Amino acid sequence: MIEAQGLTKRYGSKTAVDDVTFTVHPGRVTGFLGPNGAGKSTTMRMIAGLDHPSNGTVTVNGRRYAQHRAPLREVGALLDAQAVHTGRSAYNHLLAMGASHGIGKARVQEVIGMTGLEPVARKRVGGFSLGMGQRLGIASALLGDPNTLILDEPINGLDPEGVVWVRNLVRYLAGQGRTVFLSSHLMSEMALTADHIIVLGRGRILADAPVADIVGRAAGTTVRVCSPQATRLVELLCGPGITITSTTPQWLEVTGSTAQAIGEAAAAAQVVLHELTPATGSLEDAYMALTQDSVEYHSTAAGWDPDDPAAAGAPPQDLLGAGLPQSDPEGAIR
Amino acid sequence: MSTSTLTFPEATSQLDTSPARNSRLSFPRIVRSEWIKFRTLRSTIWTLAITLVLMVGIVAFFSAIGASQSNGPNGTDDGGGSIAVFSIAVSLAQLPVIVLGVLVITGEYSTGMIRSTLAAVPRRLPALWAKGVVLAVSIFVVSAGAVAISLAVMQMVLGGKGLAPDLGNSQTVRILVGTPLYLAAIALLSFAIGALLRHSAGALATVLGLLLVIENLFLIPWKPLQAISPFLPGTAGSRLLMPQEQIDLFSQGATNTVLGPWQGFAVLLVWVSVLLTAAAMLMRRRDA
Repeated sequence: MIEAQGLTKRYGSKTAVDDVTFTVHPGRVTGFLGPNGAGKSTTMRMIAGLDHPSNGTVTVNGRRYAQHRAPLREVGALLDAQAVHTGRSAYNHLLAMGASHGIGKARVQEVIGMTGLEPVARKRVGGFSLGMGQRLGIASALLGDPNTLILDEPINGLDPEGVVWVRNLVRYLAGQGRTVFLSSHLMSEMALTADHIIVLGRGRILADAPVADIVGRAAGTTVRVCSPQATRLVELLCGPGITITSTTPQWLEVTGSTAQAIGEAAAAAQVVLHELTPATGSLEDAYMALTQDSVEYHSTAAGWDPDDPAAAGAPPQDLLGAGLPQSDPEGAIR
Repeated sequence: MSTSTLTFPEATSQLDTSPARNSRLSFPRIVRSEWIKFRTLRSTIWTLAITLVLMVGIVAFFSAIGASQSNGPNGTDDGGGSIAVFSIAVSLAQLPVIVLGVLVITGEYSTGMIRSTLAAVPRRLPALWAKGVVLAVSIFVVSAGAVAISLAVMQMVLGGKGLAPDLGNSQTVRILVGTPLYLAAIALLSFAIGALLRHSAGALATVLGLLLVIENLFLIPWKPLQAISPFLPGTAGSRLLMPQEQIDLFSQGATNTVLGPWQGFAVLLVWVSVLLTAAAMLMRRRDA
């Protein structure tokens, strides 16, 4: 369990992470999503005690990282695939890391096997491909068999096979009851891997919800309605499973209903409609809308604002949507 | 990319064979970890080898010259002069030691390794001290070995002429013991500056500039400079390697302080302590 309370990091006048509060629960994969520069890495580095928060606290299993007596056993972190001396072999790197905790050769060989590093384990890291470096980073994170894993962009530089491997690995680890927190700037990857998603933009949390919620909101179940009798329409539409939000007068966003049902209800009550648009945005669109760098989105911290004309004209479900069913088991895991 | 040729093992079922959970961080383990890091880099092996070769080589070279110039057995020199060669040998052999002392820490910053190190030892300072211990002990052992080999060489080359150092002489012993002590201290000085600056080239330039350029500038005969000069780290520390006659020579008519051998070494140790303390304070505070 990772708990951040009002976590803030300022570099001079720039605020990289701005008063962020969240909890990462064990037993599921929590995705940490945001564009480059959103503050994901800084947040993760603060969790692992590498950067000092300007304000706020972050604890792992109730303690600050540095207060653990066996940090590598508590938290495995891949914070930077290149956090390895280029002149040392992968084997020796892992051996040295493990030695600080009394972790021996057997375990080093084991994580080398698990991450498929055998052919290069005795070679110097300087000659590694990006993918090999990632594997070594993941091997280091697994070294202490920790209950909490923090993986910063673990699939960067991996080939498709490696991506699938990481996905299976983190889902397996979470299935064992471990806390898995992994960042990515790829919504599509998160949709496949994570159970829960925390979206960060410009250092603030834009969304913190189960992946199904975020996907649901993005999968075209929202309908934008414009009517001069919006208030009357709200009364008509209200019902179980239907959420209606309004950002501007006359404009409604209806979730849980269809354009057809809304249109028929309006006609029956002789309510005038000026516009009736199913928002069929893709996941990427949802993500773009979430992370768009504008102040109004920051203020709607609770979630997602589809009031973006571009989203309405977006192409229908792409392959992100096609892969979504795979992420459904998250309900079962929790 | 070569990764595609790799097998992806059943990753995950192996996790259950986890190591015993009783192990935790301890200073001896951190030292062991740092020792593995230290010995598994080529730069370590190279710099230590060069240190050894320079020491022995210079001693052998000067011994050979000394042997060819002496007028046969039972010459006038009682061996007190031949010991002075260690001072010359150290002044060159300290260069690879400085490089190693700096690289031990800046190499981690330049490659990003420091983040792995600090993730393993989040309290940070034990890692710094462990590195210092490994460095100082290794330099001490290697240079003590170099001194031993040098002595053997001197015995071979000069022994027949009665010019070999006299191990019963307290000054000889002081210089022989002082050589590894001085080099270990210089290594720690370089290490501290490396930890402060976190940048290989910058730290190397600083240490070399200080020891080889700035300290010599202070020899300019201008009183304020000369008053400070004896207390600079290299000048003070190398007193330990200086034959007494030479120190006496300095004292004659000297207006500024003349430190004795151990006093000088103590001043070097003060420099090392102050710089290490500053490095430790910054290391705790700075983001990795």
